[in-house]
Amino acid sequence: MSKSETATDSPGKKGKWTRRAFIGAGVVAGSALVVGVAVRQGNPIDRLSPLLTDGKNEQLLNAWVKVDTDNIVTAVIPHVEMGQGVYTALAQMLADEMDADWSKVRILEAPADMQYVSDSIARDFLAPNLEVPAIFEPTVSGGILELAQAMGLQFTGGSYSVRATGQRAMRTAGAAAREMLVAAAASEWQVPASEITTADSMIIHAKSGKSEPFAKFALAAAEQSLPAKPTLKSPDKYKIMGQPKARHDIPEKVDGTAIFGIDAKVPGMKYAAVKAAPVIGATVTSIDATTARTMPGVLQILNMGDFVAVVADGYWQAQQALNSIDAQYSKTEGDGLDLDAIFARYATSLDEAGEDGGDMETEAGDVGKAFAGAATKVEAEYKVPFLAHATMEPMNCTAWVRDGKCDVWSGHQAPVNARQAAADAAGLPFEDVTYHNAYLGGGFGRRSDSDAVIMATRIAKATGYPVKMIWSREEDTAQDHYRPSATSRFRGGLDKDGKLVSWDNIHTHLFDPKDAPTIPYYNIASHKIRKVDVPMHLRFGPWRSVDHSQHGFFIESFVDEMADAAGKDGYAFRRELLAGSPRHLKVLDTAAKMSGWGSALPEKHGRGIAFVPSFGSIVAQVAEVDMTGAKPKVTKVYVAADPGFVVNPDGFTAQMESAIVYGLTAALYGEITLKDGAVQQSNFHDYPMLRIDEMPAVEVALINGDHKHLGGGGEPGLPPIAPAVTNAIFAATGKRIRELPVAKHDFA
Amino acid sequence: MLKLIHVIALSPLFVLAACGADPAPGPVEQIIVREPGAAPVATAAAAVASNPASALIAEGKAAFANCSACHAVEQGAPNGAGPNLVGIVGKAAGGVAGFAYSDALKASGITWTAAELDSFIADPAAKIPGTTMVAGAIADSAERQAVIAYLESITAN
Ligand code: HEC
Repeated sequence: MSKSETATDSPGKKGKWTRRAFIGAGVVAGSALVVGVAVRQGNPIDRLSPLLTDGKNEQLLNAWVKVDTDNIVTAVIPHVEMGQGVYTALAQMLADEMDADWSKVRILEAPADMQYVSDSIARDFLAPNLEVPAIFEPTVSGGILELAQAMGLQFTGGSYSVRATGQRAMRTAGAAAREMLVAAAASEWQVPASEITTADSMIIHAKSGKSEPFAKFALAAAEQSLPAKPTLKSPDKYKIMGQPKARHDIPEKVDGTAIFGIDAKVPGMKYAAVKAAPVIGATVTSIDATTARTMPGVLQILNMGDFVAVVADGYWQAQQALNSIDAQYSKTEGDGLDLDAIFARYATSLDEAGEDGGDMETEAGDVGKAFAGAATKVEAEYKVPFLAHATMEPMNCTAWVRDGKCDVWSGHQAPVNARQAAADAAGLPFEDVTYHNAYLGGGFGRRSDSDAVIMATRIAKATGYPVKMIWSREEDTAQDHYRPSATSRFRGGLDKDGKLVSWDNIHTHLFDPKDAPTIPYYNIASHKIRKVDVPMHLRFGPWRSVDHSQHGFFIESFVDEMADAAGKDGYAFRRELLAGSPRHLKVLDTAAKMSGWGSALPEKHGRGIAFVPSFGSIVAQVAEVDMTGAKPKVTKVYVAADPGFVVNPDGFTAQMESAIVYGLTAALYGEITLKDGAVQQSNFHDYPMLRIDEMPAVEVALINGDHKHLGGGGEPGLPPIAPAVTNAIFAATGKRIRELPVAKHDFA
Repeated sequence: MLKLIHVIALSPLFVLAACGADPAPGPVEQIIVREPGAAPVATAAAAVASNPASALIAEGKAAFANCSACHAVEQGAPNGAGPNLVGIVGKAAGGVAGFAYSDALKASGITWTAAELDSFIADPAAKIPGTTMVAGAIADSAERQAVIAYLESITAN
């Protein structure tokens, strides 16, 4: 193990380093050069502090690149693959900056095991002796916060991976590695580094005709001083970024060798089926397991207080025995609630807030005056239901707690967090837990929660042998952490020319992102947006695009209603609102143009447009619906998206398409209802998914509008689809959908 | 609860925070019916499983789910993607009438003893390079033993 050379201390920066990122390098077995970019979790801002316990203070956020002796470049990815193509996109960013030969790039997911980063190379990162690259200067506290969220806790979500980890760390690690390789070659060849070029994992000195693979200089490179500010490429130099490189994870998903959390296999493993109290928050007061204990394969029956578990030789045996158990539950405040009662609560809270109550989110101008003076006034109320995530792989986790150690196998959006949850549940220190992450069969936010990890660990602790806990689809549907239902009320005013001059919105709940209800891109002189909190016994969780999933529908429906009141076309009306924002306008115009906006459609067909910037990306969609049948048929969706710069056009397009599958499923059918406090849906017959024959053709246009500020890909395709469809239904039928899902409405 | 989530919404730890003080309560009630590996209690429902041989066969029948997509085991049932396996143990490979075997299997000269079956099911392509049985391998040796016991129990009559 050779030590990396360290740059001289920069006293001016001392003391602040915990907020900063570092580049470090060294050599590990089997690899000649390892370069990493790391940010130590300090305490960047107060908001983070509750997340950072002492035991976790040494965790590193890391993005690594290894060069092996056989000239293979390995990108170590601190994010999890849940079908979004993150491995490939991030590796592209690193490989491009490094001038690596893409065919010789390998990908490895960073383990949640901190030993990986606590070896001596990682220790070098902790030494506060490296100058910080300018891009890491925490000018925006949010920047480091994003990094910490996205990488330090290895969190995958919020459409962060490419725009935060990729932009700030993967590219830097690649560029730093390249500069160190060049420096090593320059010193051996005795030529100025500036005369050396790199391409396809080769180091080239054209003047002397010398050319050698990276591997030749990898050892020497590890001895080079660390570049403090590696130079990143300008877009005209990109070779791998911007290319539709084939997805790394696809072959094994096609041939079936990919291992998902549910595929975990541990010698001696038994199976658990679980059922929690139907009313969330209730406890299990008693169980009658008379039949269950006589059933084949049954090993244990556990009343865990908040849920019942049966452990058996096989999963089916466990589930059958569980089904035979008669359990009694405690009474809770949520018992009497049904969906109407919940929406009545929302209405009461909104009524109480009135015209000026609630929490102000954003305000400009004088809405009261503008509305009073408006020539045309429009008021509307919209509702969206609770939604389940319905990941195709149901919630599951395998755990083994024995001899003061715990092993956990699962697919989780935040592996380090899952590991901490398992440690707490096992009553063991973080270090004694090994977390084995696998592919996620759908995440959508659901797998950022650790409830399944905690349950499995508790069961395994009670049994002493390894247990794979699998939730039935019924359990998965009834015990989700739901996308909140919400009500949103609007009052809008038009002046005599039909210009939108006043926007007054009040809605229930605010979860994340905070800007979801706001519309800074629309030019409306007077606006105010407020929220009210309403207590709820259901557990809420982030759901693909989080609050944008509700507010995209609310805002873009109401904009359409205002357009109609102004006697204007929805596209033209939005153009006026976006005047002065050329980047936004270009996205809107592109979608409209693709769709042939304005051209004639057959009878009972309609076109609807919606525009929602979210997670740093700007997306417009035009949907076409055919209302001639008994239920709406979405025939075509045109998408224009500007995420700043598209790293992998194929992957980004797939994200737009999959967001439409997911968002259209919700818009047309998605609804979790309650009766007596318990969720009524149980499986795909009553919580249906979009079928292949219902999938519209999707056409996607990508726009690279700002290569310095990247937006996300996983979520921004979702928010516009519901309003684009309901606006299209209005265009076709004159019927305005103010409550989702569409299936609630009769079009006969 | 809403408040908590609100403050740290996109941060991955919010569930922990929202889960309350003690995430790890042990069982309120723990009924241990049997230790793993121990023979099942002979109850009416578990009677079949109380005989170790029939328990193994029962396990094998369950594990045959790996195979049943392609193989029938009922006498006279048509071949599927793979040949009908009724009475396969002790038979020469490639002997089921009307099934289009691969040349590799036909030329293998194997007689399906328990040991031959074991190595075949463990990795068909390694045992008979060129076989058209491309799925269904079982890595777990105990599970293979069970499947073979099950196949042995199904004889042609
Ligand atoms: C994807 C379909 C498929 C699955 C699943 C499958 N098989 Fe096969 N099996 C075949 C095919 C096809 C053949 C014929 C192979 C050839 O001709 O090379 C075959 C051949 C065999 C043979 C040889 C039969 C003979 O007449 O010589 C045996 C034994 C066998 N399979 C056992 C099993 C068992 C046991 C399993 C489950 C553990 C299994 N197979 C799973 C398709 C399958």
